[in-house]
Amino acid sequence: MSVHDHHSAYDRPAPGLTPGRRVSPTWRWFAEGIWWVEHAFGRARAHARPEEDARVRIFLILGLFSLVFAGLAVGATHAALMSPRGGGGYATNPNALVRGDLVDRNGALLATNIVHYAFYIDPSEVWDREAAAVQIKRALPAVSSARLRRVLNGDRRLIVMPGLTPAERKRLHALALGGLSFEPEDRRVYPLGTSATHVIGDADTGGRGISGAELAFNDEIRAAGARGVPFALSIDLRVQGVLENELAAAAEANGAKGAVGIITDVQTGEVLGLASWPTSDRLDRVTSAHYEMGSVFKTFTVAAGLDTGQADINTRFDASEAFMIGNRKITDFHAQNRVMTLEEVYLHSSNIGTSRLAIEMGGTVMRDYFTRFGLMDAAPIELKESARPRRPRRWDDSTLASLSFGYGIMITPAQMAAAMGALTNGGRFIPLTLRKGDGTPVRGRQVVSPETSRTLLDLLRLNVVRGSGGFAEAAGLRVGGKTGSANKLVAGHYDPTHAVGTFAAVFPADGPLDARRYSILILIDEPSAWPRTGGYVAAPAVGRIADRIAPFLGVQRRADAWRTALGERIAVPAATDGVVR
Amino acid sequence: MTMWTAPRNGLQRLFDWKVHGIRWVEIIGLLLVALMVFSVYVAKAGAAREGVRISQLEREISDNGERVHLLRAEVARLEQPGRLEALSRSAGLAPVDVHRRKNEGSLATIAPVPEPRPVIVAPTTAASVEAAAAETPVGPEDGR
Repeated sequence: MSVHDHHSAYDRPAPGLTPGRRVSPTWRWFAEGIWWVEHAFGRARAHARPEEDARVRIFLILGLFSLVFAGLAVGATHAALMSPRGGGGYATNPNALVRGDLVDRNGALLATNIVHYAFYIDPSEVWDREAAAVQIKRALPAVSSARLRRVLNGDRRLIVMPGLTPAERKRLHALALGGLSFEPEDRRVYPLGTSATHVIGDADTGGRGISGAELAFNDEIRAAGARGVPFALSIDLRVQGVLENELAAAAEANGAKGAVGIITDVQTGEVLGLASWPTSDRLDRVTSAHYEMGSVFKTFTVAAGLDTGQADINTRFDASEAFMIGNRKITDFHAQNRVMTLEEVYLHSSNIGTSRLAIEMGGTVMRDYFTRFGLMDAAPIELKESARPRRPRRWDDSTLASLSFGYGIMITPAQMAAAMGALTNGGRFIPLTLRKGDGTPVRGRQVVSPETSRTLLDLLRLNVVRGSGGFAEAAGLRVGGKTGSANKLVAGHYDPTHAVGTFAAVFPADGPLDARRYSILILIDEPSAWPRTGGYVAAPAVGRIADRIAPFLGVQRRADAWRTALGERIAVPAATDGVVR
Repeated sequence: MTMWTAPRNGLQRLFDWKVHGIRWVEIIGLLLVALMVFSVYVAKAGAAREGVRISQLEREISDNGERVHLLRAEVARLEQPGRLEALSRSAGLAPVDVHRRKNEGSLATIAPVPEPRPVIVAPTTAASVEAAAAETPVGPEDGR
């Protein structure tokens, strides 16, 4: 009798597998395999070969571990050879600037961040330092040779040059030299070069605005950058371009020392163009330079006279002889030597007439109106450069006379633009802004009556049609404006060889008071050409600018009471008489 | 004295089902654990692959964003107003005189639309009509 079980006990089929029941061949094969392994020990004992049982089990464990390690080997090989170049991690630029792009009102790019690269060399990884120095200098001529050699001959990794452009980095990378490395760093880039440079301003390498709109809107630009959206200025690059080009042309044609131009929307206060020439000068003359602007101030004097009811357009002023204030004798540049209506005083730019009107109104009224027009405070605009005016200390008769025709007070062109806007939009003083508006009407502060504003618009237009601003005429655009010519104070006296010629214009001057209307101010500083008056040095540029920007602004050419749409003259009726002052 | 034995229901029989002294339930449990471990490994490996793919796409987006930035800056540089003006002037271009400008509404006044040419129709005779009718092919619906 055998002590072993009969071998049939170990050759039985796997439990659960009833003979005759239909199962899949794979499952049957697997189950039988497992069962065969399970019965290996019993089978081996039955066949008197117990060592086979251990072999089978060792073989199985071996097979299992081999399978696991083969899987791991395949995974490791795949990870080592097939993984994407540069590692799996998402490489962010640690020096990225959180500063949004600056764009104009139509989305044209004004300022952006471009990744630049700081160039490092680890000299311990450079084989031939002399050859490397020569090759690097050839690929990157801007690098300092002394610095390059100092780093190459050093003993640790050092920066050679910051701010490499992607193209420069590519050139160096193509040298395939060991020890060269690059670290990304964002740089603020102004692709327009000198265009709109004064309005855009500048930001430092740390991403903080230091001048212009970059400084004025620093927090908002950073917030926009964090949100990944650009920050829009009110500037229209097309208008800005025309302004810059025509301003430069006028300044060069007149041999000027400097020039200023600003174009605004008088209904919203938005600045559409702002230029200061020469662009190489960091000084933004629009907001930071002070000028005695001369006769353009007669607009303010006449506005105050009309608004207080001190005079109307037909009130007559005696300009038949010089006006004496104490020992001071006030004369006219274009002397008519006759009695003139207020309209004629304005059109002939009579110093005598406006002086008489200012003195009649008195210091309190004049000061009140100058304050209303924003002439006593820095121009209300976001730019930090906006400078305070140089105001008169006294408001006696002589000062009032000077103020009435634009002497004795020095203001910035931005102040003049804001004041002209208030007089031509129905009498609302609206702060200038470089922020793109959303199209909603701006209320502003009422500083003169709508009737005064209407009268001034007519006077400004008349001054271009019949007065000193004839060169500013642009066919069909109904340009109105006032010339200003002033001598500068040089060594204690006003020197006629150092003059300032200004033209403050608005177009179209007709239509409802709340119609779309644009103000253009051009100031030519110290023109060397003769005559140096605003009507000759600044007005022509205004006409050309209006002519070129009208299509961008959607201003249609139309006839008015004095000119056809193509600029031909239309006969007008004569004026009426009034009260002599 | 007889010992009380619990009724052997199906569940107990399943627990008692052994092979070499090891319960099948335990073997199946171990297999399930192994299966879970393996499936977690597979899921994690898949997630890692997706993570790598996402990183790669993010890198591509970032690189493309940089390229777009560069190209936009280059476009802005090329479109500098001063540069365009200088190029235009050197090419002999200048603002168009107002007398030579027209809007779309007045195009007809500067280049009137030409009158339509009268269509000359050849005189038709009775003979030619009959000839044309004879040459006209007969359609299938007309066939008899």
